[in-house]
Amino acid sequence: MTSSTILKTTSLLLVTLFLIFSFFLLWRGHDEPGGGFAGGLVASSAFALYTIAFGAVGARQNLVIDSRLLIGVGMALAAISGIPSLLLGDAFATGRWADVEIADREIHIGTPLLFDIGVYLAVLGVVVTIVFALAEEED
Amino acid sequence: MDDALLILPMLVPLLFACLAIAVLRWRHVQAALTILNAAILIGLGIALMVVVWDERVIVTQVADWPAPFGITLVADLFSAIMVLLAAIVGFSAAIYSAATIDDRRALYGYYPLFNILLMGVMGAFLTGDLFNLYVWFEVLLISSFVLLGLGGTRAQMEGAIKYVVLNLLSSIIFLTGVGLVYGMAGTLNMADLAVRLRDVEDEGLVLVVSMLFLVAFGVKAAVFPVFSWLPASYHTPPVAVSALFAGLLTKVGVYALIRVFSLLFAEDQAHVQDVLIWVAGFTMVTGVLGAAAQNEFRRILSFHIVSQIGYMVMGLAFFTPLGYAAAIYFVAHNMFAKTGLFIVSGLSHRLLGSFELKKLGGLAKHSPEVTLLFFLCAFSLAGLPPLAGFFGKFALARAGFEAEHYIIVGVSLAVGLFTMYSMTKIWAEAFWKPYPAELPGDFQVRRRQPGMLVMTIPAVIFAALGVAMGVAAGPVFELLERAGEQLADPSGYIAAVLGGEPE
Amino acid sequence: MDIALAVLGGFAAAAVAPLVVARAGHYGGYLLALVPLAVFAFYLSLAFGADDVAAVSWTWIDALGVDFSFRIDGLSRLFGLLISGIGAIIVVYAAGYLKGDPKLGRFYLFLLSFMGAMLGLTAADNLVTLFVFWELTSVTSYMLIGYKHEYQASRDAALQALLVTAGGGLAMLAGLVLLGIAADTQSIAEINAAGDVVRDHHLYVPILVLLLIGAATKSAQFPFHFWLPGAMEAPTPVSAYLHSATMVKAGVFLLARVNPSLGGTTEWTAALSIAGGATMLLGAYLALNQYDLKRILAYTTLSALGTLVMLLGVGTELALKGMVTFLLAHALYKGALFMMAGAVDHEAGTRDVRHLGKLARAMPITAAVAVIGALSLGGFPPLFSFIGKEVLLEATLENEWGAFWLLLAVVAVSSPLLVVAAGVIAIRPFFQAGGEPPKHPHEAPPSMWAGPGILALGSVVLGLAPVLGQGWLIEPAAQAVAGEEFEVRLALWHGFNLPLAVSAMTIAAGIVAYLFREQLRALTWPVESRVAGTVGPTRGYEGFLVGIKRGSAWQTRKLQHGRLRRYVATTALATVGLVALAAFTNGGVPLAFDVGGVHFYEWFLGALVLGGGVLTAVARNRFFAVTAVGVVGVGVALIFLVFSAPDLAMTQLLVDVLTVILFVLVFYHLPGPMLQARRGVLVRDAALSLAVGATMTLLVLGVVHADRPTDVSEFYAAAAYAEAFGRNVVNVILVDFRILDTLGEVVVLGAAALGAYALLKYRARDPEGDEQ
Repeated sequence: MTSSTILKTTSLLLVTLFLIFSFFLLWRGHDEPGGGFAGGLVASSAFALYTIAFGAVGARQNLVIDSRLLIGVGMALAAISGIPSLLLGDAFATGRWADVEIADREIHIGTPLLFDIGVYLAVLGVVVTIVFALAEEED
Repeated sequence: MDDALLILPMLVPLLFACLAIAVLRWRHVQAALTILNAAILIGLGIALMVVVWDERVIVTQVADWPAPFGITLVADLFSAIMVLLAAIVGFSAAIYSAATIDDRRALYGYYPLFNILLMGVMGAFLTGDLFNLYVWFEVLLISSFVLLGLGGTRAQMEGAIKYVVLNLLSSIIFLTGVGLVYGMAGTLNMADLAVRLRDVEDEGLVLVVSMLFLVAFGVKAAVFPVFSWLPASYHTPPVAVSALFAGLLTKVGVYALIRVFSLLFAEDQAHVQDVLIWVAGFTMVTGVLGAAAQNEFRRILSFHIVSQIGYMVMGLAFFTPLGYAAAIYFVAHNMFAKTGLFIVSGLSHRLLGSFELKKLGGLAKHSPEVTLLFFLCAFSLAGLPPLAGFFGKFALARAGFEAEHYIIVGVSLAVGLFTMYSMTKIWAEAFWKPYPAELPGDFQVRRRQPGMLVMTIPAVIFAALGVAMGVAAGPVFELLERAGEQLADPSGYIAAVLGGEPE
Repeated sequence: MDIALAVLGGFAAAAVAPLVVARAGHYGGYLLALVPLAVFAFYLSLAFGADDVAAVSWTWIDALGVDFSFRIDGLSRLFGLLISGIGAIIVVYAAGYLKGDPKLGRFYLFLLSFMGAMLGLTAADNLVTLFVFWELTSVTSYMLIGYKHEYQASRDAALQALLVTAGGGLAMLAGLVLLGIAADTQSIAEINAAGDVVRDHHLYVPILVLLLIGAATKSAQFPFHFWLPGAMEAPTPVSAYLHSATMVKAGVFLLARVNPSLGGTTEWTAALSIAGGATMLLGAYLALNQYDLKRILAYTTLSALGTLVMLLGVGTELALKGMVTFLLAHALYKGALFMMAGAVDHEAGTRDVRHLGKLARAMPITAAVAVIGALSLGGFPPLFSFIGKEVLLEATLENEWGAFWLLLAVVAVSSPLLVVAAGVIAIRPFFQAGGEPPKHPHEAPPSMWAGPGILALGSVVLGLAPVLGQGWLIEPAAQAVAGEEFEVRLALWHGFNLPLAVSAMTIAAGIVAYLFREQLRALTWPVESRVAGTVGPTRGYEGFLVGIKRGSAWQTRKLQHGRLRRYVATTALATVGLVALAAFTNGGVPLAFDVGGVHFYEWFLGALVLGGGVLTAVARNRFFAVTAVGVVGVGVALIFLVFSAPDLAMTQLLVDVLTVILFVLVFYHLPGPMLQARRGVLVRDAALSLAVGATMTLLVLGVVHADRPTDVSEFYAAAAYAEAFGRNVVNVILVDFRILDTLGEVVVLGAAALGAYALLKYRARDPEGDEQ
């Protein structure tokens, strides 16, 4: 892959923006268009872009965690999010909600959000795994 | 309690898969985790059996949304039996894998995928939702595709491509069917569908749409004329994978056929019955003839899977409790015998280094233990009493004659002869014939390797189960007859899912 | 209980046989012989016990009416005594015959299993129990015939025997199932006690035909007789056992067993008389042109079996009496003769009578056995088989059936031919000069002459004093076959009567024929060899095997051709075909739909998607095709948007974009230009695609037309915020209402990624070196 300085600079900027946007999508998903799946896709686009600009090796390092392990973590988190209700004697994945106060704002969060985070991570892991593998083929 | 019992068969393999991903570099740890997972699944299967034993249908509404709005998981006797059987196959295949799967395959995700496959199978057996069934089919398809291709030899990839393309096609047809059914009845819950499809004004439309399911599940089950993916692929991957697939994949298709046609499309059976009987007959005959043309151990076995699926479809086609019971018995017997045979093919490969019959020989003389295992599995498959296969055949014949379907029974019995023919072909070539060359110098060493012992365990399990199912055919059929009655009269199932009393 | 023990004892002994032989060598054989001997004693005790019938039963499969049950009546007792008695002799004989054979342990394993199977078969009371043992005899005999499995000939002969008998077994299974349904019970005793229930049932003829096929294959009746001579590949002890008391008598046993419930009809009489008569004649004739002792004996067995079946067909009191008498007589002399042949083979190194001569001096005891056996075979007085033949003639002569003269003719021709066979067996090798056997012959060891000696002695003793066997053995057996009570009185001397005259004439004719045997052979052999080479059943069997091979190869080429494109086409065709068939059966699908409410932009979107699809199909390079697929994706995303599902639209768009990115990454790895199919193939595929598309479209339109209750979606809209606390219904569906689907799909993605990673990175090093 060719990588010019301009591409590198702009892509760094874009990657940051994409990541922030992906968190935003994940967070607001329950009420507005978005969600873990879309968020995960946007985040992975960020890494895809980064890979194209800087190569797979650098992208891998920036991900911190092994991409396949990320898939595992995501899937496990999604699965585990349903277990509390099971332990409490309800059906699997029955929504558990709590009002949490963060920075003076009352926020209604629940296990579905946890599930969505799992989805986000898994999707991210999935796409970057494939992208890295393909990109490393190139090298 | 029911809530946990119904979801755990999916959750446990998923979590074990995630754990295995974390330890990809340690093959033995992964293998141990997988065996443990399968052992837990056997435990869950037994627990399910205990709970549904008295014909209680247990239900959980995932995320606590009442049916038909959420996704319902259900277990009746049929489901519970299938869960237990699949767990046993998974357990044995996991043991076999532990002895045969190399570091590299382990590193590239063999065990996580193995566990995910089990998750998909369990989900398919336990879900009460048509779309959710589709999801589990996808889980199965993708994980099996990768297991099939893992290793990347040319033969493997060719097989895997055919496998995935044809099965994706089946998935599309299935999904279309789901969409159409939803369009007609406005629900995806199978029990709810059973009720609402009855009220659809144009019954003929339901019948027409049901044909999509027949094709879609027919591909999965590998029936005539859409079985080609199976003989194209099953002989290519490591034996552990062949054995696992032989025991599980097509049986999920058969399960889906039985479930859907006994529950959803049970109203207008005359046409479906005709079609199923033709399909069953052609599947048996073409499968067994396909086997007769082969000269490679696993290819013969692969075609036999097809042939035997015909018997299961035939049991379904009668739409009687005894027919269902016979079909389920046949499924169980086949899972044992066929998985066992694939493992025996692996044992003989380990000893003599080939799957080609002409390069094999002398096993009767040099390896009595493999000989005995093959004998028990192969002659069970060929329907030799008092092994399990005979009672499957007998029950089907009885069910068919009682329902006055004489011709298909005749065909099924004649096919039995051909089955025996190709089993004796393997027997004569690999076991009786003298080994064509100098016996490998380390033959006796290999025979006594610890790995060989571990590989033999699953075959012993299956051979023993084949014998046990024959000797204890009484209690087994007592159970299966009740399972068959539940399928023939789904009112208990429907009531359990939707609430209220059975009609 | 003790019945079951006796019946299954053979299997128990079989299981330990390899161990015993491993420890004790061939002496283990003597030890193992104690088991059949004990069974023999048990059957004797039953014969002289208080009860006429002994029975035991366990429920096996209640749901299918299957019991594991035994009921030993007169017929079972006769068979049990023969099986265990001759079994004991064979076990001892084999210890001598196969002394030093490294596979002796396995030999006993199969032999004793076979004995157990025969005992079970003859003692069974339930149809399924009977069939279980029936099939076990097929498989154990397969193992025994293929004992010398290093040789292709043995393997082929074993396979032939198995395919014929197991094939017949399957017909019989169908017959037994039907019989169980027709009689509404699977207990043989109950069926036999039910009078005309089965004979009057509308399934009577199919049942009869199916059971006959089973019996005929097992008992080598014409035209299934051809496997029997092939089975001579087995070691001689096995041949002796199969032919005298066991395997081949199983079919006769079956017919005798069901005689009370199925016998006596015109169909029965005709079928059995014809099959039996034909086999009797054919067997006697086929022995003429043989020189191998065992093959000669095999064909005479065929003849004897025919006789038995014919007598069952005639079915009169006298005929059944004759049947049982002849059965016993044949078991005695045929067992003795086969073991004699084995002894000759063992000591002289050949069984070809042309290479044998003057053996009487070196092997006096074996010669004596041969003479007694041969005289029995020829039906000479004062041997027991003479009595059997007298009753046979008597039964034939008194027969009321119109074609009795035909049967008489059959007997009149067969008997002299058997006399010829007897002469060839006894006179040629033992008393005439000539022949150079490969080994210098001397008398066989006692283990190999004691048993046949006992059997030969039995022939003599019972011939001189038939009363010794009639009251406790023959009479109960004949009664069991007939299903009614009558008395059996046998005597060597009947006075001067018609049967005696016929008997004398046939023996005289036989002696003449023996003297002119070479002329007879010269006359018949050219014809026989030509017929056997062109139309004989052996040819039929070979044709069958070749047919399987060719047919299966042809079918595999047609169905499993390996071309994915055609597999896909087949699947598509099956879909369209089944849907069309169902629609046709149903008289069409409703198609009333209204396009008035469709907006113009919806038409546009439809056209966009359709156009993208068409472009993908006709694209000539990959890049263009992928772009076209992208267009379809965008079109679909827009449709989602129009129908107010922005989430789906966004996801669809993202997936589309990522697909293109991934494609760009793999683009350089793909092979060059896409292959173009031939024009005909393209037209075919296009037509098929259009048919699939049309089918799906029509189905969708049909469904749209149908009623559409939608309370599920209404529930989602209402409950999303109120109960699941989310305003975005789609997201709530994904993470709450249908969370399990999402979980599953995430796993699908995960598996796909693991797979993509593995398939990209993992290159097999050495495909052949893979461990399996």
